[in-house]
Amino acid sequence: MKLNIEGLLVYFPYDYIYPEQYSYMLELKRTLDAKGHGVLEMPSGTGKTISLLSLIIAYQKAFPLEVTKLIYCSRTVPEIEKVVEELRKLMEFYSKQTGESNNFLALALSSRKNLCIHPEVSALRFGKEVDGKCHSLTASYIRAQRHSDPDMPVCRFYEEFDAVGRQVPLPAGVYNLDDLKEFGRRKGWCPYYLARYSILHANIVVYSYHYLLDPKIADLVSKELAKKSVVVFDEAHNIDNVCIDSMSVNITRRTLDRCHTNVDTLQNTIEKIKETDAAKLKMEYRRLVEGLKEANVARETDVYLANPVLPDEILKEAVPGNIRTAEHFVGFLKRFLEYLKSRLRVQHVVQESAPQFLKDIFDKVCIDRKPLRFCAERLQSLLRTLEIADIADFSAVTLISNFATLVSTYSQGFTIIIEPFEDRTPTIANPVLHFSCMDPSIAIKPVFQRFQSVIITSGTLSPLDIYPRILDFRPVTMASFTMTLARTCLCPLIVGRGNDQVALSSKFETREDFAVIRNYGNLLLEMSAIVPDGIVAFFTSYVYMENIVASWYEQGILENIQRNKLIFIETPDAAETSMALEKYQEACENGRGAILLSVARGKVSEGIDFVHHFGRAVIMFGVPYVYTQSRILKARLEYLRDQFQIRENDFLTFDAMRHAAQCVGRAIRGKTDYGLMIFADKRYARADKRGKLPRWIQEHINDGSLNLTVDEAVQLSKHFLRQMAQPFRQEDQLGLSLLTLEQLESEEMLQKIAKIAHQT
Amino acid sequence: MSSLSEEVLLVVKKVRQRKQDGTLYLMAERIAWGPEGKDRFTVSHLYADIRCQKISPDGKAKIQLQLVLHTGESTTFHFSNESSALKDRDAAKELLQQLLPKFKKKANKELEEKNRMLQEDPVLFQLYKDLVVSQVISADEFWANRLGDINNADPTLSNNKQEVGISGAFLADIRPQTDGCNGLRYNLTADIIESIFRTYPAVKEKYSENVPHNLTEKDFWTRFFQSHYFHRDRINTGTQDIFSECAKQDEKGLKSMVVQGVKNPLVDLLSLEDKTLDEGYGFCKTFPSTSNSNRTVKESSNSAIIKRFNHHSAMVLAAGSRKGETPADHASETSSTDGNSRDSDFFQPPVKKVKLQEVIEYEDLQRENRPKTIALNLKKSDRYAHGPVPLQSQHYTTSQDIINSVNYIRHEMLNYKPNLTQVLSSTTASSAIAALSPGGVLMQAATQQAINQMVPTEVQGELKHLYVAAGELLRHFWSCFPVNTPFLEEKVMKMKSNLERFQMTKLCPFQEKIQRQYLSTNLTGHLEEMLQTAYRKFHVWQTRRMQYLECHSDHLL
Repeated sequence: MKLNIEGLLVYFPYDYIYPEQYSYMLELKRTLDAKGHGVLEMPSGTGKTISLLSLIIAYQKAFPLEVTKLIYCSRTVPEIEKVVEELRKLMEFYSKQTGESNNFLALALSSRKNLCIHPEVSALRFGKEVDGKCHSLTASYIRAQRHSDPDMPVCRFYEEFDAVGRQVPLPAGVYNLDDLKEFGRRKGWCPYYLARYSILHANIVVYSYHYLLDPKIADLVSKELAKKSVVVFDEAHNIDNVCIDSMSVNITRRTLDRCHTNVDTLQNTIEKIKETDAAKLKMEYRRLVEGLKEANVARETDVYLANPVLPDEILKEAVPGNIRTAEHFVGFLKRFLEYLKSRLRVQHVVQESAPQFLKDIFDKVCIDRKPLRFCAERLQSLLRTLEIADIADFSAVTLISNFATLVSTYSQGFTIIIEPFEDRTPTIANPVLHFSCMDPSIAIKPVFQRFQSVIITSGTLSPLDIYPRILDFRPVTMASFTMTLARTCLCPLIVGRGNDQVALSSKFETREDFAVIRNYGNLLLEMSAIVPDGIVAFFTSYVYMENIVASWYEQGILENIQRNKLIFIETPDAAETSMALEKYQEACENGRGAILLSVARGKVSEGIDFVHHFGRAVIMFGVPYVYTQSRILKARLEYLRDQFQIRENDFLTFDAMRHAAQCVGRAIRGKTDYGLMIFADKRYARADKRGKLPRWIQEHINDGSLNLTVDEAVQLSKHFLRQMAQPFRQEDQLGLSLLTLEQLESEEMLQKIAKIAHQT
Repeated sequence: MSSLSEEVLLVVKKVRQRKQDGTLYLMAERIAWGPEGKDRFTVSHLYADIRCQKISPDGKAKIQLQLVLHTGESTTFHFSNESSALKDRDAAKELLQQLLPKFKKKANKELEEKNRMLQEDPVLFQLYKDLVVSQVISADEFWANRLGDINNADPTLSNNKQEVGISGAFLADIRPQTDGCNGLRYNLTADIIESIFRTYPAVKEKYSENVPHNLTEKDFWTRFFQSHYFHRDRINTGTQDIFSECAKQDEKGLKSMVVQGVKNPLVDLLSLEDKTLDEGYGFCKTFPSTSNSNRTVKESSNSAIIKRFNHHSAMVLAAGSRKGETPADHASETSSTDGNSRDSDFFQPPVKKVKLQEVIEYEDLQRENRPKTIALNLKKSDRYAHGPVPLQSQHYTTSQDIINSVNYIRHEMLNYKPNLTQVLSSTTASSAIAALSPGGVLMQAATQQAINQMVPTEVQGELKHLYVAAGELLRHFWSCFPVNTPFLEEKVMKMKSNLERFQMTKLCPFQEKIQRQYLSTNLTGHLEEMLQTAYRKFHVWQTRRMQYLECHSDHLL
């Protein structure tokens, strides 16, 4: 259908539309008009992606000079591919409606592991291996050496691409990962480099967060993307953690040992080069004296995306004299390494700030702040000059130099914690230096500054106002949309008591209590008897799940559950869990029914959907608080309190509830879907917890279901499931939660739709 | 006399039943017991009738074996031979254990089959009622040659039965009971054993390797329950445990399953993450210690339990679907799962594409493509089921039809040209007319045609049933000729008496009934004629046989 969104003609590739989709598009259009950022929460399964794509592409077509590019960031590879498929559908609809062939170029970009077509390289299992191998075949100096020695191995796909691939741009169309591979194979070009090159002129780019948020990758891939782009972060409820992760560094003894060998190799290489090709080193020296002017110019003219690891100030200066020559720099690294080693030899926990660390290092080994700041850049230059083949081998020394630059650049937002041993094993010495970022805004700041509109969206972003605060930006729109439903297809129940009136809770004091564990077991047992097909149960942590499973096993509860359904359990091993997941789905498919025991914050809770019969009920055992004894977390909480005035408890609850909401939201993936959401902890009933659930879940919790016993919950569930099992047709939805174009245009409906968006 | 033809598998002497000494016979199809000194069996059960056997516990003074029948009755045998009572009992038990499951399935299958046939065929059901329920012939006789042809005619029916899956909790059903003196007792049934074998092929292998050469069956299962294998949470200590190898095999199987990876790319957690952080970067790890050395015993036993549940569920699931899988199918699956191999890239995308399409589909946002149908709203469903019934069962012709046919005939008549060379001679023609006129030769049957108007419908129905029943009996009777085996001899005698009984109990009352209603008696004339023919045949056969026997006896004398 063709929609009129405040004067913008939007092609929507379906015959019907959900009211909330219309409302979502309205808000999105206003955000784009204002050239500002937005935070939008809309329940999963209400067609968020297609609404986003329809509107932004319509906008791009209408105002090609205002918005030149859409950068769509998602979290996982399947999600990226899903987005591209939806895009393909939209584009097909466009060409069918307008009759002209589509002139848009849209493509997905992923790591080499998913795009490589080289027969040997792509056979490797791990991404890191693929990257390393690829680099050893395609690095510029390797290829230069090949001129003298033609026997060296070569990637013919890269050579072919390098020879002719850049001359003609990729023809317009929608390219998913497999399409790129197909295209690459046909032309004999490397799909990875083709994609990386093509994102510069593509109209739509779909890739993972890291390509924009991780400075190490963003610098390579996304540096030159146009300023007039719209950036969308989908499934962004965890975006702060992604930011923090990309800026944090952990250093162990092993890292230092490997670093040591790296430095030795560097030294030897330098010696060798000095004998054979001293001019090379001299040239590097001259370049360093010149300074990093090029980069500075580029950034000032707004061509490059800023790199938070490479702060603005250092671009204006030349590399300081004491690390300019290669030997000096290696010596400098050695000194720094020795210092770090000495710091790891502690017997007690040390926590300090970056300035404290800098002062200490100056006092002990006379290393100044300034050369430290240039460490990362200097190392890159050296590695380039020395023509090191396998960069992957030098990850340790790169890590250390990144750490040096970060610690000397940011006096705030980071903390250094040195732990001599793990908390659980105090007898085994395993010293770790955590350099952890506490301020997610550091990593994302360049994105907000550079691009005109950044949209943060997800099914669970409640409470909305916390995201602008922790990411430090000013949105022009913040809205939460509810799900309009013709039938209440979700049934959130808070089970607070067992049948014996024992209060159910996963809080620390009652965690080992047998009565609680037994009652949890009872709940699962009873549910396994009444819920058809699949049940997914989430625990607060892996250790907790292990303990509960063990005691359920001893008490014979699991045996009884097996009478009703098969049991599958998540393990720390991803491959094993994948297999368990597939078997779980198979058991749901063939009607036997199964239960999946899983962990909140685990891979399953983040990336796997349980549509329809794969998840008819989700049980959340306990409130998934993060492990609060961690020093890093404590430091972060303190920082949040001091910098952003967010109380510790508020943040912890917010974090726990967003994960709980993620878990239970896995079961509802659309309006025809239905599922029970059981919160098995009495603490969920409290207003401060409940209030932090997304609005679309919250509004279905009625006062009667706040503190149920297991039996009561079973009764309510039975009733709910019986109702939901009735046939549900399109006509039932039409006019309520599903609209035709005529219905959408009626005055009355437009008024109703205006109420769907809940502004904050 | 029937026991003569049976094969006796086992004879156990000195077995008491109801305080009477006797001998126990295990035959091919039944178990029987006869008191000492008599050649008759007082107890005889077909294996198919036996639901299960029970034995007395080992420690008890009386060594007994109890048979529980499907009807709920039970028979207890007491093995009283002092020296070898236990051995005898065990021998009987073992043999029964092998025999019973075979008959159990057969019995169930047969019953089901019979039931199905009766339900599907109303005529047969009526016949069954007429002959078996009214005890003209026994049920066995009735089915004797019917099941045979059905089975032969329709072999596919019995073959494509659905495989029964395995209960997920079959191990839980083996509830250990304490026997009061610091021991545990496990009750195993044939079903559970089968479940174990199907779920854990490794155990089956061990079983066939070791039983009965190295271990008795009992020892085997005792070891099984004691093994680390059964109790996965226990840490493996003994290396001579025969099941440790099974555990290793399972581990291997699990690993190969894991290595094989998953077919559905959407659940593959390994390829979920696009770009993992390099080592050394990141906030903190979820699982701090992965090395096994510093895991406590409890922790590793916990993870063993978790592994076990995953494996068990996977095996149960696989056992259910293992049968239907063809090897070719399997091969193609494995080749397409390996995402990295070269040719697999050409296989994989379709699976992936389909899955992706499924996921992005919003079925309710799309207009349904199929033509719109109107739901049938029935007010009176019985009227729908029966349909409108015409008041008179006549064929109506519309006036248009009549006019058309008149026109047609008229048209035909216009073009009529008599073919004068081929007409009948006048005498033949007149005799034919005479024969066809009322009272003529060919018109005499007309009076008999009216039988369906003369006789009320219920009598007609009854007559029909009688014909069918008589036909069935006569079929049995005639199928005995030529009588050349003792079995057929016996049968022909029985059939003759059956026929007589039929005449007495069914035919005569019917005749009386129609007489009372003043209907023409020759309704049953044909039936009687058929019976008489059979009797005559029997008589001839019998007299001939007597002469033959006399002859023989003369010879013998």
